[in-house]
Amino acid sequence: MKTMGKRSLIIFFIVACFFLGIGSFLYSFATQGGSWAVQPFNGHISGSAASAGAGKILDRNGVVLVESKGGKRVYNSDYDTRCAMLHTVGDTQGFISTGVQYNYKSELSGYNLVTGLFSPTGKNLGSDIHLTLDSKLCRLAREKLGSRNGAAALYNYRTGELLCMVSTPDFDPDSPPKDINTNPAYKGAYFNKVISSTFTPGSIFKLVTSAAAIENIPNLDSRTWNCNGSITINGNRITDVAPYGRLTFRQALAHSSNVAFSQIAIEVGASKMMNEASTMGFGRSFTLGSIHSAASNYSVKSVSEDQLGWSGVGQYTDLVNPYHYLVLMGAIANGGQPLMPYMIKNITTPVGITSKVGTATLGGSLIQSSTAARLKDYMRYNVSHEYGDSLFPGLDVCAKTGTGEVGHGKGPNCWIAGFSSNENTPYAFVVLVEDSSLGSISSAGRIASSLIKAAAGS
Amino acid sequence: MNPATGSLLPPSFPSEMLTTILFILRIIVPFSCIAVAARCFTSMRLGKRRKDPVILLEDTAAHRILPVFYWENSIGRSRSSDIVLHDQTVSRSHAVLMRRESGWFVSDTNSKAGTLVNGRKVKERAPVFPGDVINMGATELTLRRVESPEIDPFRPVYRRAASPFSLMWSVFIIQILLAVQVIFAKGNPDFNAALPLGLLMLTEWILYLYSITIRGQVSFELETLAFLLCGIGITLISGVSVKDAFMQLVAIVLGIIFYRMMIWFLGDMDRVTRWRVKIGVLAILMFAGNLLLAKSRNGSKNWISLGPVSIQPSELIKVAFIIVGTSTLDRLQTYKNLTGFIGFSAICMGALFLMKDFGTACIFFMAFIIIAFMRSGSIRTVFLACAVAVFGAFLILKIKPYVAQRFEVWHHVWQHTSDSGYQQVRVLSYSASGGLFGVGAGHGCLENVFASTSDLAFGMMCEELGIILAITVVVILAFLALYARSEATRSRSTLYSIAACAAGGILIFQACLNVFGSTDILPLTGVTLPFISQGGTSMISVWGLLAFLKASDERTYAVRRQRN
Repeated sequence: MKTMGKRSLIIFFIVACFFLGIGSFLYSFATQGGSWAVQPFNGHISGSAASAGAGKILDRNGVVLVESKGGKRVYNSDYDTRCAMLHTVGDTQGFISTGVQYNYKSELSGYNLVTGLFSPTGKNLGSDIHLTLDSKLCRLAREKLGSRNGAAALYNYRTGELLCMVSTPDFDPDSPPKDINTNPAYKGAYFNKVISSTFTPGSIFKLVTSAAAIENIPNLDSRTWNCNGSITINGNRITDVAPYGRLTFRQALAHSSNVAFSQIAIEVGASKMMNEASTMGFGRSFTLGSIHSAASNYSVKSVSEDQLGWSGVGQYTDLVNPYHYLVLMGAIANGGQPLMPYMIKNITTPVGITSKVGTATLGGSLIQSSTAARLKDYMRYNVSHEYGDSLFPGLDVCAKTGTGEVGHGKGPNCWIAGFSSNENTPYAFVVLVEDSSLGSISSAGRIASSLIKAAAGS
Repeated sequence: MNPATGSLLPPSFPSEMLTTILFILRIIVPFSCIAVAARCFTSMRLGKRRKDPVILLEDTAAHRILPVFYWENSIGRSRSSDIVLHDQTVSRSHAVLMRRESGWFVSDTNSKAGTLVNGRKVKERAPVFPGDVINMGATELTLRRVESPEIDPFRPVYRRAASPFSLMWSVFIIQILLAVQVIFAKGNPDFNAALPLGLLMLTEWILYLYSITIRGQVSFELETLAFLLCGIGITLISGVSVKDAFMQLVAIVLGIIFYRMMIWFLGDMDRVTRWRVKIGVLAILMFAGNLLLAKSRNGSKNWISLGPVSIQPSELIKVAFIIVGTSTLDRLQTYKNLTGFIGFSAICMGALFLMKDFGTACIFFMAFIIIAFMRSGSIRTVFLACAVAVFGAFLILKIKPYVAQRFEVWHHVWQHTSDSGYQQVRVLSYSASGGLFGVGAGHGCLENVFASTSDLAFGMMCEELGIILAITVVVILAFLALYARSEATRSRSTLYSIAACAAGGILIFQACLNVFGSTDILPLTGVTLPFISQGGTSMISVWGLLAFLKASDERTYAVRRQRN
């Protein structure tokens, strides 16, 4: 019998494994329970069986964007506001994975470790989320985009508050269209293009080429380029809209001369171009609270000279994420180091306790401060001498436009990225209009003009 | 939630108030369960005999007293013997001295020199009485009584932490609280929903009166714990379907009858030994019948339909497997060979693989490991068996790649929330939704998922009654296994020790597969959670397993002597 005592220790081994497993389960339960619970399929927070209601989401002025009524999520009564805020707020089903409703589900649902999603008092447990965004501004951006697809974002680069973020196409979250997955008009409607998409940048990439030139070409301001309409590199013709003649660097950027900038990119060289792009945030994801943006792309490893030339003017395989460029504008405006945007102003529990207050955090440096200062100067020259200050009266806007050719019979991506250098209106912005037949000023430029004027006015 | 407008509640009674009251009751339940379980286990620990010698052997030549501590004692030269004889003429495992109903016996276990009682050679087994002389090789031993007549070692004073009645009463109160949850599950009071739970309570008291009053049993802790768990299971099922809860009740009653029959059957070790081979053959025939008759259900062929009832023979074969595997000490020492049992196990596991019931195959394999190790003490055997199992599993994955697909989703469930990971992610999500105290019986969402009350019972417990109660339930199962271990040297025979450890091992291992499978810590295999999950044959089977634990408690068969 004595041996039985020893041999039965095998039971200890099994029980020890059991407790190990239970320990690991309880650890995950405690640390990940919140994200487990707030799945879109969870009947306690969605669908007809919803027992615990979810909190409200409000804009910076207290406008209710979504709330729970009678076990259902009800959005703002105004159709345009609903659509304009769709990608920020998110949909009920949780298809828009960058939306606040998706990313702050556990706060909205009132999940806590003790009672889970259950409300012992039968009352709503969910917290309310106040955003930094201005629904009126978003509505304006959506109205200006009209039927065109695109994206627009604007933030205060001194406080970090994100004021406007809009992506089209959109849909009404109160009654999502039945044909959303089949109708080509809704292609990309679940994506917040500001955060999740990347696009061919065209000439707004010249800001990166410029920064590389500032840092690598010593006598940049005394150099000139002969821009007579086109240049042939490696048998590949790179063209301009018109022959500009002999241009200084400043003029070449203002005219956005492909002839000059392709030569500059080649002169700087692939490895220095890659370094500059990498420093300025290409290949990296940026965060908006807990949400991660798509990474911009610049890759010219072992390319031919003409490909390097094209890459320097924002073509080739270049891709830009609008949110990245918004942060980059903030960095240039702020002397190299951006104040990161945020959109959660605060989160308040049903008993009125503020559980979270949004604050601006300083991001990593994206550009040398001396380079930022010179770039700012060139971008100011772009507006004052080329685009026209009448677009942004009294706002001292520094900007760069771009038209990224996408081919496949589609019109180009029209961009504008910039900021107001006026101390009283510290706003940075990015606007993108896809498949545009107008020039970048008349499409993206006009939207940016309306947005920044509205932001400055309010 | 609909406002409560039931006849018993005043019309103005706010539904929020009811919600709060039910929530408070759900806080009380798990802590009461912990208290009851703790009292049961301490009571079982205190109920043990003190470690005094039960009889003495006197080495006549050396005048040395050798105390005898166990019901079955190996005698031999080997250091692992219970009674070590330092005599070169004695075999390493020479004989076994054991206590049976009718007194002490000595059994020669193929020794070289043989064993003599009062000068007569022992063939197989011979009775010995105090004063008798046993000769083994050059050693002569005399059986002597323990010299304190006021202490009868076989009628020890059992210390008791809690009376069986008070434990039963506590479980009764807990089940009343659970019944309140069930009654108000839909807002309006529905007393019919709590009927299965009420009938379970009645069944419990009937068994209590039968065991304590009619059978004169002194211990009732194991039954109390089993009732506690069964009550929680019925509560969950009642919230989904009252009809199913009645079916579960029937299964529990059948389980209890089987349990009492098993206790009777195990009472006579010679009977168990006589029936072993027949039971083994029967088990194989049942597997054969299963393979011939069963139709594929949800990917595995482990059900056979007999008219209106379907049964899962593999569940009952678990019990048979243990009976075939276990053995008394004298037989263990005489027939050291494991070949027969290994062959039997191979047939069982082969059959389970043909049925594609991998979960149950794992359980049989674990039972095999425990029994093989308890019998042989050979770590090499265990490693060899594991190696063969790993090789076999590898071979199956190579030959039949579709088997691998079942396990592919393991640790990737969140990428498969609507297909192969459907059940697991819902278990996780709804477990977290319940928090510490649950959303209330019948208020869960997991009940709409396939196999919620059986394979996913752990998740349902978490969601509806809270994670504290769910963890308490599985920890009780773990403690049952630990209890089986603690009885290993105290039971009346290695037959009970091995059987109890195997049964305890199966209970906790099955709990592991159920809990960890549904929460993606292990691949999902679809086995039931003992005493909780819905399922007729499996409920009968776990009560059968509990009988092995009960049999290893030396108090179980003490009563008969007291009454005689």
